[in-house]
Amino acid sequence: MKTLDIIRRAGRSLRNAKTRTILTSLAIAVGAFTIAISLAAGEGARQYANKLIGSNVNPQVLFVVKDQALFQAGVGQTGLTVYSEDNGTTPRGITIQQLTQADIDKFTARTDVQNVTPVYNPQLKYVTFEGSDKKFSGEVTSYDTTIINNATFGTLPKLGTQLGLDEVVLPTTFADTLVEQKVITQPQALIGKNVSMTISAATVQPTVDEITAAFTTGGQVAVVALTKPKTKVITLKIVALTKQSATALTGTNAFQISSEQARIIAEYTTKGTSAYQKYPGVTMLAKPGIDPAAVKADLKAQGYAPQTAKDLQSLIFTIVNTLQGIVLGFGVIALIASVFGIVNTQYISVLERTREIGLMKALGMRGRHVSRLFQFEAAWIGFLGGTIGAIIAVIVGTLLNPVITKALDLGDGTSLLIFQPIPIILMIAGLMLIAMLAGYFPALKASKLDPIEALRTE
Amino acid sequence: MIELIGVTKTYGKKQSTFKALDNINFTIPDGASVAIVGKSGSGKSTLMHVMSGLDRPEQGQVVIDGVDILKLKVKAVDMFRSKKIGFIFQAFFVQANETTYENVALPLEIANVSAGERRRRVIEALRTVELTDKVKEKARNLSGGQKQRLAIARAIVNSPRILFADEPTGNLDTQTGETIESLLFGLNKNGGSTLVIVTHDEELAAKCDMKIYIKDGQVDRVVGGEG
Repeated sequence: MKTLDIIRRAGRSLRNAKTRTILTSLAIAVGAFTIAISLAAGEGARQYANKLIGSNVNPQVLFVVKDQALFQAGVGQTGLTVYSEDNGTTPRGITIQQLTQADIDKFTARTDVQNVTPVYNPQLKYVTFEGSDKKFSGEVTSYDTTIINNATFGTLPKLGTQLGLDEVVLPTTFADTLVEQKVITQPQALIGKNVSMTISAATVQPTVDEITAAFTTGGQVAVVALTKPKTKVITLKIVALTKQSATALTGTNAFQISSEQARIIAEYTTKGTSAYQKYPGVTMLAKPGIDPAAVKADLKAQGYAPQTAKDLQSLIFTIVNTLQGIVLGFGVIALIASVFGIVNTQYISVLERTREIGLMKALGMRGRHVSRLFQFEAAWIGFLGGTIGAIIAVIVGTLLNPVITKALDLGDGTSLLIFQPIPIILMIAGLMLIAMLAGYFPALKASKLDPIEALRTE
Repeated sequence: MIELIGVTKTYGKKQSTFKALDNINFTIPDGASVAIVGKSGSGKSTLMHVMSGLDRPEQGQVVIDGVDILKLKVKAVDMFRSKKIGFIFQAFFVQANETTYENVALPLEIANVSAGERRRRVIEALRTVELTDKVKEKARNLSGGQKQRLAIARAIVNSPRILFADEPTGNLDTQTGETIESLLFGLNKNGGSTLVIVTHDEELAAKCDMKIYIKDGQVDRVVGGEG
């Protein structure tokens, strides 16, 4: 018997049991729907991540640290580490090896990179705003010239250009707080105003000689002054308020100042301590025409832990893939349930059609072909279920996309659910295969049926 | 020619064995019409199954056109049935959900006949049984007589050498039964195929060239023919 004829006959048998066929297919459709959605969401998330990185990160950028632990997913405990004078603690309290000024000098001396900027860790005591003596505390970071920022008010320097030494940029949320605290009446009033940052130098244990000298010249007061931390006020002008863009990668929730100013503050506050001129990391740009991966390989060979924009991308992809895997897992569970549905349906079908099978065998149909007939029926069910699931997924996805985009504020023209024909076709093909496997035992039973028994009239 | 030599078929195991066929010997010439007559449980149906290769006796030979079908492999027996045998059953066994055309096309599909040739042969078979006006009708909508005519069309569509009919008129009223009988004998006389009717109906048996009476799994007597 020709395979095409068997397939046609299988389809016809299913049409004769429409309700049962559709119900069994719907069970598969649930699994197919989940899988199709997870495929679409994974694709959408990857495209979104690509867009995000593409529009935010300079592909030439490298971020270099001394300690690989900073990049590892399970950052939390580093366990026992080798003590070094250069060890430092990250804001999360993890001890990591830091880069020293010597490392920075080495990077600056390289011919294949430019814009070597260490990550400073400037600490503020408090800040005050022009026209008010209310004190606020807040974090401060150096302005990142490699990512795109959008200003709600004021003007930001062009991509790749640093802020001026006496300039500062605030996130809009700071302005909101200031309005609440009645320092200003409306956010835009901040532009052009001055911010005074009070920083304090590290407490340095004075030597006995210094104490003696102070006591002899100024008495008790001078000694107290000697042990009291020194403070300094830096005044900067607000040039812009940044807004959290939909496609912005990192939400900076801190005062952003020029990296030179950050260096000044960091050095003032750490002078005399072990943290002086130590840096958790450094960013640099591979010069145009130079492959950042080559720079990375070279730095790695020297014992540094560099990361490129591409690594960042793969890190995000890993997260997306994991999430997609979880959703996919649910789809697979639904499929496993539906497989039993197919087995059950096909067993019933074999029982119901005992006579038909007997007749076909009496007419000389080979057992192999009888078995194939039932397996093709199962494959048809798989095809139907997969197609129904995929169609529903596409419809639901198309309807939901604008809602999701709006709810997650992904930015116009971005869709989180992206359906691609090839994965869907592969999924349907896979479902047909699974259905055929599920139909194996019922089909075997059909092929083993004794035609004499089957045709015995009751 | 169909030749049965020393055919013995036993059912059951050890103490509870039951000899359905016990040393059966007879010869049926080509083109004959034969009635296998016996009461219910006499073994006549088993004999038909053995002769058509559906059942395998432990002993003996079933030689059809010079070949002992008991020596053939399963695949070859299936092929033999699909090419040389036609079946007609008391309960018709037509596929109620399928159309007349699809029912008749089944043996041709099994025998791997090309679609064009199939169409020609199905129409011809339906013309023979006068069902051409029901080609697209679902089999469930046919009357009993029409169903049996459909079953006959299905049995003759691949021009078999032997036509087995198991109580072909058992489920039909007298008048319809007569129509079917004349159709079967007509096919036997004009088509030259051997007709083997399994029945307990003496009246029907009387119309055959040769009658083989079966009793308790043994040939009781053979009337007519060469035996």
